[in-house]
Amino acid sequence: MKSRGPKILTYAMLLLAILFFVLPVVWITLTSFKSQAEVFSYPPVFVPEHINLRHYAGVLSGAGGQALRDSFIVAGSNALLSLVAGVPAAYAISRWRIGGQHFAMWILSIRMFPPVVSAIPLFLLFTNLQLLDTYLGLIIAYLTLNVPFVVWFMKSFFDDLPRDLEDAALVDGANRWQAFVRVVVPLAIPAIVSSGLLAFVFAWNEFLLALFLTRSAVKTLPIALSSLVGGHEILWGQIGALAVMAILPVVLLVMLLQRYVVRGLSLGAVEG
Amino acid sequence: MSRAGGRKKALKQRRPRAAWLLVAPTALLLLAVSIYPLLYSLRISFFSWELTAAVPPAFVGLENYVRILSDDPRFWSSLSKTVYLVVGGVLIELVLGVALAALVVRCGKGRSVVTALLLIPVMIAPVVVATQGIVIFNVQWGPLNYLLSLIGIDGPVWLGDRHIALRTIMLTDVWQWTPFVIVIMAAGMQSLPVDIYEAAEMDGGSAWRIFRHITLPLIQPLIVVTALIRSMDIFKTFDYVYVLTGGGPGSSTETVSLYNFLQGLEFFSFGYAAAMSYIQLIIISVFASVLIRHMRKGLA
Repeated sequence: MKSRGPKILTYAMLLLAILFFVLPVVWITLTSFKSQAEVFSYPPVFVPEHINLRHYAGVLSGAGGQALRDSFIVAGSNALLSLVAGVPAAYAISRWRIGGQHFAMWILSIRMFPPVVSAIPLFLLFTNLQLLDTYLGLIIAYLTLNVPFVVWFMKSFFDDLPRDLEDAALVDGANRWQAFVRVVVPLAIPAIVSSGLLAFVFAWNEFLLALFLTRSAVKTLPIALSSLVGGHEILWGQIGALAVMAILPVVLLVMLLQRYVVRGLSLGAVEG
Repeated sequence: MSRAGGRKKALKQRRPRAAWLLVAPTALLLLAVSIYPLLYSLRISFFSWELTAAVPPAFVGLENYVRILSDDPRFWSSLSKTVYLVVGGVLIELVLGVALAALVVRCGKGRSVVTALLLIPVMIAPVVVATQGIVIFNVQWGPLNYLLSLIGIDGPVWLGDRHIALRTIMLTDVWQWTPFVIVIMAAGMQSLPVDIYEAAEMDGGSAWRIFRHITLPLIQPLIVVTALIRSMDIFKTFDYVYVLTGGGPGSSTETVSLYNFLQGLEFFSFGYAAAMSYIQLIIISVFASVLIRHMRKGLA
């Protein structure tokens, strides 16, 4: 084994780095519990004297309640639709190379487009179709992000899934559909759930398309947060509380899905 | 390995006729929600399409593109700021990411805890990061300059100084995305064969020489892919600037995405905005095609 000196140095540097990356998140959480005076005091108060839940109540009864509901509706329905469309397609592409590699790559490239490219035409089209500022409009717009994501994520999963079990089911007299539903889907449940949850997070976090396509009837969390910051009287405690509510589901998912997150964020280019 | 095996079998298995039915809904859906709007946008980009003016849209051919490229200093200025963010951000994130990953792989069992902690910033909405950035970077009562003052550093005016603000945006991106690079690189380093290292250590190579001559060349493909992914993402930088600076002070942090947004939703010049988005699309496509080529190599 190597000497202890460098080992301790390694841990010290790593600890410093982790503090750098995690402390701002801790700061946000603490801010949400502070009183208004503590928010603006200097030197800054890091740990509030009392755990103050006022800001949570305040923001939930105002803009935050609507934002949470809208974000859940849009991200939830979008993730479900993306799974319904994406999983069977991913299976067919993986098993029988439908459309060849070009088709798969075409789907992937849609995911890489800058969002502003689709935001501009969707704004004009939705104006004509009266989909502007509706749940349905935003749900449709996010399909351009999440269907390619689900297809690509699930394709890489099916590529790695041995087909012996399906073959065995076919030999036992099951038809293709039965083999898919009874053998493949149960095995794929963890991956399907993971890709759905990641798709949920992408929709949950999205800002630019929402800015183009919604006004007041639909207000997702990022939109609500950015307008709270732009207001006359900035309520930092409430913003902190809303930020924590926006972060919380995401942090829980990271804990659950650790090994899928990297694969998902790199569109399968990197195995987590 | 398993992929190559799967492919051989795939050739043996007959493709059922119903397979098309599984793909058709997705293909039609993407044609409707992505390709059709894209073509629609291409058409708009050849028109003078002012929503505010009473005049109907008029066909102007390539005029929008010509004006953007030859007669719009604000576009070029926003492009150069965007490129500055891409180059600086990618370099810093890669150097820090690789270096810290080399530390992460050494910490044995603690690795999964470290990874979970590192992935938190990555998954947070950029808008949340930016709203809190306003507080953290605040010059009067923000915690960052206070902490710096404790170690004797007079912190800069992070967001209000036109010579600093763009670098503050870069710092924000580095904060959120370096952990992503660390986790990727650590996973890559972890999967390298152990025997090479044992042989190198027996030959008496120093830790640095082993890193420089063995680890780095082996993870080079991973570095290229990561650099491309990050370049494409940073090129689209919008949320941070919209919330943190609004493009200011002056226009010192106005990225292409932000300028493009303003042309659309503030000035309502949709033809011009569509043309500009197509120019962005072409630039991104160059990155994307290189990335896809690399990913294909990985699949083959």
